[in-house]
Amino acid sequence: MVAKELIETRWKAIVCALLALVLVVVSAATYDLFKSMLSGSGSQVPQFFQQQVQQFLGSYDLYVWGNWFAKNGAEILAVLAAVLGAGLIAGEVSKGTIFFLLGKPISRERVLLTKYAVSACVLLAVTILSSVALLVTAAIIRHPQPIGGVVLSTLLLWLGELFVLGMAQLFSVLFRDVLRPLLLALFITILVAVPGFFPNGGAWSLLSYWSSQAAYLGQAFPGKEFIICLLGAVLPLLLALLLFRKQAY
Amino acid sequence: MSDRERSLTATGSPSLLPANQQAAIDIRDLVVTYGAKRAVDGLTFTVPRGAIFGFLGPNGSGKTTTIKTLLGFRPPDKGSALVFGYDVVRQSLEVRARIGFVSETNSLYDFLTIPQLCAFCRSVSSQWDQQVVDRYLGLFGLPPREKVGRLSKGMKSQLALSLAMGSNPDLLILDEPTAGLDPLARHAFLNTLVSEVAASGKTIFFSSHILSEVEAVATWVAIIREGKLVLCDELDHLKQSRSVVKLTYVDLPKASDIEVLRRLPEVMSLAQEGRSVRLVTRGDVESLTQALRAHPYALREVEVVDLNLEDLFLEYMKESRHGREGTH
Repeated sequence: MVAKELIETRWKAIVCALLALVLVVVSAATYDLFKSMLSGSGSQVPQFFQQQVQQFLGSYDLYVWGNWFAKNGAEILAVLAAVLGAGLIAGEVSKGTIFFLLGKPISRERVLLTKYAVSACVLLAVTILSSVALLVTAAIIRHPQPIGGVVLSTLLLWLGELFVLGMAQLFSVLFRDVLRPLLLALFITILVAVPGFFPNGGAWSLLSYWSSQAAYLGQAFPGKEFIICLLGAVLPLLLALLLFRKQAY
Repeated sequence: MSDRERSLTATGSPSLLPANQQAAIDIRDLVVTYGAKRAVDGLTFTVPRGAIFGFLGPNGSGKTTTIKTLLGFRPPDKGSALVFGYDVVRQSLEVRARIGFVSETNSLYDFLTIPQLCAFCRSVSSQWDQQVVDRYLGLFGLPPREKVGRLSKGMKSQLALSLAMGSNPDLLILDEPTAGLDPLARHAFLNTLVSEVAASGKTIFFSSHILSEVEAVATWVAIIREGKLVLCDELDHLKQSRSVVKLTYVDLPKASDIEVLRRLPEVMSLAQEGRSVRLVTRGDVESLTQALRAHPYALREVEVVDLNLEDLFLEYMKESRHGREGTH
């Protein structure tokens, strides 16, 4: 069953991994370019914008974290998680293969958990690959990154993706087409990220826990972040399990 | 087996087959609803072990819903269903371990090759015999390494049957297995079903609305309409107990004569076309034809012909409709 799930998800994972690799390399390699562009532009750039960019380009570590773990990486991997999760059950239902699958002598829990586990592993592989690419690129351009910070941020980012995967899987159990679970999972993901855009709203934004700046910079061990991300990952999965057990087809 | 033991009709008389040990499927007062609609409405019947059981009914009559309930896809609202004595709700895994299922849509994983699909089935089956699958694949002449998505609809049906046999099931449930197949593919499928699967002693439960194919292979039939059982009986017994009597009159028969015929207790239905009258009868056809021949002045010919399943199906459909209208 694991092999079947891997074969089914391979193209989605490969395309997303390639896209993630390009983005992470660009994110990691463009720091010096941006910095030189900003210093060259001088007074042409408005004062307020200059301050913002200066803060962003203040250090390479901050730039890489902000570009990858807080933005591009979180976004693209969330989309991959939603795409993978939305198709897990709804994909089987829409193609009619759910009857072939559930007609076998395996429990629904095993079906759902196997599918979830394969998708979670695919996400972990893509996340680790991206982080390795980040470390290598940063080392090549002589801005070596803190391995501990990268490892902690990678794990947090993966747990964050598991929230998206779990939500998409939950909606995938409830709906019989792939589009609605995908859109709803992305909508919920945006919704839980929105409070972070408001002053002092970080504590209410799940995204701020996935992409903890303090964890990346090695300022503090992200225990609270791990607990919150873990809960965010587990709760939708448990709910999906409960619903799938009772769902009629 | 006595008539009472053999037959379980829409009147709801209980099956006298010895408890669940003898039955492959034992359904009692089953009710399955979709919202407010009762798709299956108080269904009760038994499928004996080793039978080739044709489950008939018009579209939307509840055949697929019954099968979904047996396989645990949809829980019943009331009643019970046992497969080899296992409850389909509480012991669903044990039930499915004994069932090979071929669905109406033959929805297999198109992105897998046949060996990959076999590996998948092996990983989710309690017992798997690849040699049996290979034998069936060879029997159907299926390309052994082909991608499932490249197979024709007929080939997919054959592959689905081969895979269902791989888990060595005691019961094969087929939901409209030949729907959409051309006559040649349908013939090959049914031929294998009878000569290979049934010959190995397995119970086959298959739904269909293609009456000729049911008649060709089934030993037992049940007819369902609007979720209710109309008839359940051994096919041979059913055909022996009902006949078609064709009467040809010298002149156009009088309306009063037709009314007399219609009221005879043996006559289930009557259809008139000019000087010809067609009676579907039950019970002792010999005494009926003798009584009819006792009035030779009006009759030119009396002919008794075997009833085919299509006649029977249509009669029962009419009968149940009239019965329903009569109750209004």
